[in-house]
Amino acid sequence: MRAPEPLHALRVVAAPEVLDDLAWADDVAALRLAADDLLAIGAASVEVGGEHLIVDEAGFVGWWLTADEVRDHVLPHVDWPLPTARPALAQGLVAGVPAKLWLTEERALLLCAAAYAHELEERL
Amino acid sequence: MRESLGDSLSPMSAEAGRFVFDGRRLPYEPGDTVAIAILRTGEHPRVGGTLCLAGDCGNCVAEVDGIAWVRTCQTPAGPEVEVRRHPADGAPAWHDPEPAPHAIEVRREEADLVVIGAGRSGTAAAAEAKRAGRQVTQLDAGQGTEVVAVYAGPTLIARTADGMLHIRAREVVVATGAAEIQPVCPGSGLAGLFTARAAQQLQAAGVDLGVAVAIGPAPDGVPCMPLPGELVRFEGEGRVSAVVTRVDGAEQTTSCDTVILNLGRSPRDVLSRMAADLPISVIGSAAEAFPLPPPPTAGIVCACAGIGVDDLQGVWDRGFNELELVKRASLAGTGTCQGAACLPHVRAWIAARSGDVPEPFTARPASRQITLGEAGADVHLDAFRRTALHDEHVAAGAQMDRFGGWWRPWHYGDHLAEYRAVREAVSLGDVSTLGKFVVAGADAVEFLQRLYPTDVSSIRVGRSRYALLLNERGHVIDDGMICREADDRFVLTFTTGGAGNAEMWMRDWLETWGLRVLLLDRTMSLAAINVTGPRAAELLGRLGLHEPPRFLQHVHTELAGMPVHVMRLSFTGEASFELHHPVDRSAELWRSLLNEGADLGIRPHGLQALFALRLEKGHVIIGMDTELDTTPRRLGMDWAVNMEKPFFIGRDALARTAVLPDNRRLVGLTMPGEAPTEGSPISADGAILGHVTSSFTSPALEQAVMLGWLKRAPFPEHVEIDGRAAAVTEAPFYDPEGARARA
Repeated sequence: MRAPEPLHALRVVAAPEVLDDLAWADDVAALRLAADDLLAIGAASVEVGGEHLIVDEAGFVGWWLTADEVRDHVLPHVDWPLPTARPALAQGLVAGVPAKLWLTEERALLLCAAAYAHELEERL
Repeated sequence: MRESLGDSLSPMSAEAGRFVFDGRRLPYEPGDTVAIAILRTGEHPRVGGTLCLAGDCGNCVAEVDGIAWVRTCQTPAGPEVEVRRHPADGAPAWHDPEPAPHAIEVRREEADLVVIGAGRSGTAAAAEAKRAGRQVTQLDAGQGTEVVAVYAGPTLIARTADGMLHIRAREVVVATGAAEIQPVCPGSGLAGLFTARAAQQLQAAGVDLGVAVAIGPAPDGVPCMPLPGELVRFEGEGRVSAVVTRVDGAEQTTSCDTVILNLGRSPRDVLSRMAADLPISVIGSAAEAFPLPPPPTAGIVCACAGIGVDDLQGVWDRGFNELELVKRASLAGTGTCQGAACLPHVRAWIAARSGDVPEPFTARPASRQITLGEAGADVHLDAFRRTALHDEHVAAGAQMDRFGGWWRPWHYGDHLAEYRAVREAVSLGDVSTLGKFVVAGADAVEFLQRLYPTDVSSIRVGRSRYALLLNERGHVIDDGMICREADDRFVLTFTTGGAGNAEMWMRDWLETWGLRVLLLDRTMSLAAINVTGPRAAELLGRLGLHEPPRFLQHVHTELAGMPVHVMRLSFTGEASFELHHPVDRSAELWRSLLNEGADLGIRPHGLQALFALRLEKGHVIIGMDTELDTTPRRLGMDWAVNMEKPFFIGRDALARTAVLPDNRRLVGLTMPGEAPTEGSPISADGAILGHVTSSFTSPALEQAVMLGWLKRAPFPEHVEIDGRAAAVTEAPFYDPEGARARA
């Protein structure tokens, strides 16, 4: 597997209903990591009402993959069912490494904490 | 049509030839399995035992092509096949290497309905499901896919000729048929004993059975003489020469070359017994409640583990009076066949004693022997994280090791030079692995007041405090710093190994209490470098921090052109500044610090030096110096607990136990000379009182310093470690006033 790209993002932690109401530009991948935790890849700023935490997030790296690359390099190492809807975020172990998959109609983003990148790169 | 887990995973040989058996070349005929080819020569694949030739029993296993415990009845004979009998006593030899895990492919599939078994009932069930619009996957060992395990999902693990197959199914139907009952009586380990279906196979293969008699109905097409009465024993030397039956109360001995045993059947349902509460159904013979055989009275019940009727009686007499316990205590059912042969007999034996027929025991994967390579195929080792400075450490010659889920530098070649750099100049430590959390919100103070035993409300903005984390029993589960950034915002740190549990702990309590608190784990988003030593502040000044925070203060500032959260604390005993900064700029900051500090005698230090430095200060490492039931009192850290607070986790337990005597204490110890090995016993007056948890020969103090447990009161002042006298001493050993850390 080729080396991953660093992902620059905003991390927003707020009440679920606050995160539900956020609007993002088309080129932002807004990944809902948890009900109260959102990772907005490619976002430069965001207006958030209510109590919240916003931090610049530099802790993730990722691979943008074609459908063929997902099939050939990722799916053989995934032991859990992928969501069928698109876009969708799936989280779990990929080749034994904690990772996330952002699946869109056109492509997919495989991302993990930078601290795990070497393991995932070696195993895929 | 056969209804079984099937034959071989490889095609049968179409031509006659020779294979190697115990170093000899033996002939085989087209279509022979290894077992049949061996039997054709008059030998037995093992030393003896009833053969089913259906893969159910373990009586034909041998080493095939270097892999032990292979069922020869399921293995095609061929010119390249080399078979070696297992030793009559003991396990087969270990061969290294067997196929390595990475060499075995794992294929993963999703399926709607999986039918295991391609016999009558399985084929019928598959056809009916297809008519109902289901997508059906049918697996059968005879067709090359042998299911050996069922896990939650349900997920099926199967062995194929090309590797392992993992199938996650919506629903599973088990249609694996029935096995034949094996005999249990004296002499059942002789050669020349076959089940009825095995005899039919041998007859079809043209194997000469000699003078054959049958116990039970004679199988179709096999010339033999049925014997009346009940089976008593087999007689012979190595091979059966006679069978003894009881007819009308009298024993009759019948000479023979072969005994065919048609004693009934039992469901081949091991796969379904691996799964509880899963959408798995069992059909056909595998679901049938066949009558149990008569309870055995003598002989070997479990041939795989060599367990006899006497062994069962022995565990029964010791109180193991139910099937699962009998299995565990006797090991009957835990061997090669996983109970396929012995389970009906053990159930009958227990039923005769308890009056109730026990349900079959739970089965565990794998149902058939698989190689370690097959078991480990595509299984990954734990992933260990690397800090953003990993490459810097390696380039600096660090010996890296695993600690708390991370790769960390143990030393850079000279841990004493690293130690001296901290004590005498300035040094860098990579502490990026520490747990780092942001806690904010209207109820943040209330949350932390309940979470910690210290009075969090009294921590002023810009200040920080060391804190213990306790569980409900008042036991120390972690420690770290609380840094107050605003009235309603804090940064918490935890130990490297404890950060993951700390997050779960906090989220559990947040959910329980329903407080308005936001929690963000920044452990892997922020790197951290500890700049420590008497010249640390001077170094930071060179990078632009001219007014560094004082002891236990913290500031957000810019350093070397990047945002940095500077925390002033001390684990080493010297002035220390933890620089928390974006993980993607960590190498840049590390290099800047090393460059600017070159003339100050700077060098990085690894964990080996850090552990020594903190030990001189008497700082504990949670999990290394503590035990699962360690309380603040036992650590001598009551000062970290504010019992004036009305509530915090563990308070009730501490209040209750505070009035009770306690005979455990973690103490400081010193002795002349070299430090003893960590773990060394501590004794006094010939009795062992505890052990050493940390030890180091201190260059600064010119003696060994230690932490260790005393577990018997009254606590002595003088003890013996490694046969040498040691003194129980107040810690810290180094700079007890803390002047250097505060400088």
